[in-house]
Amino acid sequence: MSPTATAKPSSSTSRPAQPLPGGYAGKLLRVNLSTGKVWTQPWSPDEMREYLGGVGLGAKILYDEVGPKVHWDHPENRLIMATGPLAGLPVWGTGGLSVITRGALTGGATSTQANGFFGAALKFSGYDAIVIQGQAKKLSYLYINDDTVQVRDAAHLKGKDTWETQQALEAEHGLSGHRLSVYSIGPAGENLVRFAAIQGDYGHVASKNGCGAVMGKKRLKAVCIVRGTKALAAHDTRGLIQAADDIAHDLKTDPTTSTLYHWGTLFGVTNLYKLGVLPIKNYTTNVTTVDMAGWEPAKLRHGFDHRGHQCSACGMHHCHIQVIRKGPHAGERVDEPEYEGWSGAGWQIGVTDMEAVSWLNTRVDRACVDVNEFGWVCGWVMECMDKGYLTEKQVGLNLKFGDAEGAYRLLQMISHREGFGDILAEGVKRAAEKVGGEAARCAIYTRKGASPRGHDHRGRWDEMLDTCTSSNGTMESANPTHQTEIGLPGRINPFDGEQVARLTGGILGRRHFEDSLGGCSFTFRTRVEMLARALSAATGWSYRLEDAMRLGRRTAAILRAFNLRCGIGPESEYPSERYGSRPVDGPAKDHHVMDQWERMLDVWYETVGYDRKTGKPKKDTLHALGLPWLAKDLWRK
Amino acid sequence: MRVLALLPDRCTGCLRCELACSYVQTGSFQPAKSVIRVSPFEGYTSYAPYTCTQCAEGWCMTACPVGAIRINAAGAKDVLDDRCVGCKLCTIACPYGTIFYDADTHKAYKCNLCDGAPACVEACPTQAIVYREAETADWLGDFAAERTARLLAQEVA
Repeated sequence: MSPTATAKPSSSTSRPAQPLPGGYAGKLLRVNLSTGKVWTQPWSPDEMREYLGGVGLGAKILYDEVGPKVHWDHPENRLIMATGPLAGLPVWGTGGLSVITRGALTGGATSTQANGFFGAALKFSGYDAIVIQGQAKKLSYLYINDDTVQVRDAAHLKGKDTWETQQALEAEHGLSGHRLSVYSIGPAGENLVRFAAIQGDYGHVASKNGCGAVMGKKRLKAVCIVRGTKALAAHDTRGLIQAADDIAHDLKTDPTTSTLYHWGTLFGVTNLYKLGVLPIKNYTTNVTTVDMAGWEPAKLRHGFDHRGHQCSACGMHHCHIQVIRKGPHAGERVDEPEYEGWSGAGWQIGVTDMEAVSWLNTRVDRACVDVNEFGWVCGWVMECMDKGYLTEKQVGLNLKFGDAEGAYRLLQMISHREGFGDILAEGVKRAAEKVGGEAARCAIYTRKGASPRGHDHRGRWDEMLDTCTSSNGTMESANPTHQTEIGLPGRINPFDGEQVARLTGGILGRRHFEDSLGGCSFTFRTRVEMLARALSAATGWSYRLEDAMRLGRRTAAILRAFNLRCGIGPESEYPSERYGSRPVDGPAKDHHVMDQWERMLDVWYETVGYDRKTGKPKKDTLHALGLPWLAKDLWRK
Repeated sequence: MRVLALLPDRCTGCLRCELACSYVQTGSFQPAKSVIRVSPFEGYTSYAPYTCTQCAEGWCMTACPVGAIRINAAGAKDVLDDRCVGCKLCTIACPYGTIFYDADTHKAYKCNLCDGAPACVEACPTQAIVYREAETADWLGDFAAERTARLLAQEVA
């Protein structure tokens, strides 16, 4: 590898003749870490319209290039970091990044999103996505500065957590803040923890399905990208700015999103508690004696010194950096926890001291594992120790619900695979199966090997069904947003399995469309029609609601076909015993999802047009989606 | 007259102003060519938007050997493209580093207050950039006056 490799086009004749649609850089950056080769690959306007970007593009590349024998830790596995046509444009929150790969937890497809400035920087550098293959001989990092792309030695970054890595790279390149976007793995990724994540720009995490383990296996410590100097055109700039303004106005004023606009996801704690959906102490209860008035969004935010830390072009009052006020970690600067952090690093493990949760949450991001899976692992150990299923001798420390410092020690053991941490590093499903006995019955996971986000889904069936049937290592269609737009009911009985399944199946595709655009699922919590309008203005296509949903469903079908090829089928679409148990108390205690599970699956399969027995999307479904080639692949005798 | 007031306290570093500015300057989104730039102080989660303050005494204008910098209707010092020869003297003369040279067009370029409707103001979601009335265009002059008074007071004491 030349130390100053420049990304050259693969061949001069493959340039598409059609003009480039607005919003696109027009090239994919290809990196082979085994050989050190770096090249660019143009993609055609037709492909752009078919696959958009983000997960749409990533799913296609994954399906085409990762065969069933290429497991997550195989060098030929692809790590795709893709953005979409709206990234780098003035629509709010469009610095987005989708990570697509074959993941370590389910062994199937992964699509997980993060934000910050990475997607915008990628576009201004002239690329729509980075496709990484191979395995570096030693720990390396990828440096991108417009046309200069280098695989560099990362020996000096070994063992550093994600924030330290970003700081070190900022110092090395003399650039700070948003001038240099860095996405990296922490010690957990280096040590191939199965739920390791990829974190970037101080607080944004692509966290699901062990994408950090894939990056660690490739010995790629970080991708750092200078903001980029290239121009990005929109087809109809005025139309685009108008659409961006309309989306912003909608987010600010619509009753379903104005809270999100003001507080991000902070309101989740109190709201979900009222529904019995806040997970408390590993699903052992749904009630608390803690005064929930102290957990209102304003208390969570103003309880700390805080400052806005927004993503590219974003006007939401969502992401913040805060300072720990008191206690052993006073003065430490942390990322204000998302709802998922308050839950995974907090309520789920019985920690209800705000300062402790806030501190632990950022420590999880820095060691770099998925905060949800960490919560399920840690909460499971806590419950098992409480009940005597696991002993202090086995675990190596005495861990009780509510012990944030103990949880931090466990985090370190997991991310360095020390002692019992080595077993826990395999994720809650594998750890529970290994330990077995009564302990195994307490673990929360899906049979596929993934786990829910920071919810008690026993009170939110749509997400449990979605998490279990999804093909991307996390939920892929819940929770329904503006579903009346596509003719679905605005409200349903959340404990009527049939209605739940119809809604969850009916909305399938929306999130795949969003995740193909290069933005954020919170700033995109507007009508699909508005997003399609922004996309049309950016690209010059006439993209409508139906096109958007069709694109999303097509991506969902490709991901499912990929999983089926990997041997992941409908037999694994069940929650673990605890995950699907009846709540012992709280608002959802009279409802047991498993009573209706089979019926829910039936209705879901019928709604999405997949075959219930084999799990395959039906032939006519695939033809209606414009995927005849996939129908041929899947239904070949 | 109206000037651009920059309020770093309100800035969250989303860089939307740079997108809007570059669109007006170049017709496409290219923050590298924005004339408003946000200085990041990431270690403090602090961001400061910064652009030409339209000094009362325009050093860029004085330095220009061909008279290509004029005051436009909005009161901003503006580069006349058909006169600019791309000698870059203005970029050396400017004490604030807020006039730039475009290697593609071979011309100097700077904030011209978008002829009275600054795009960055419209784009900023937190009102960290405000277009408001002031005594002079040179709002840094207030800071200079305040500082001179303070230093003089120290000398007297």
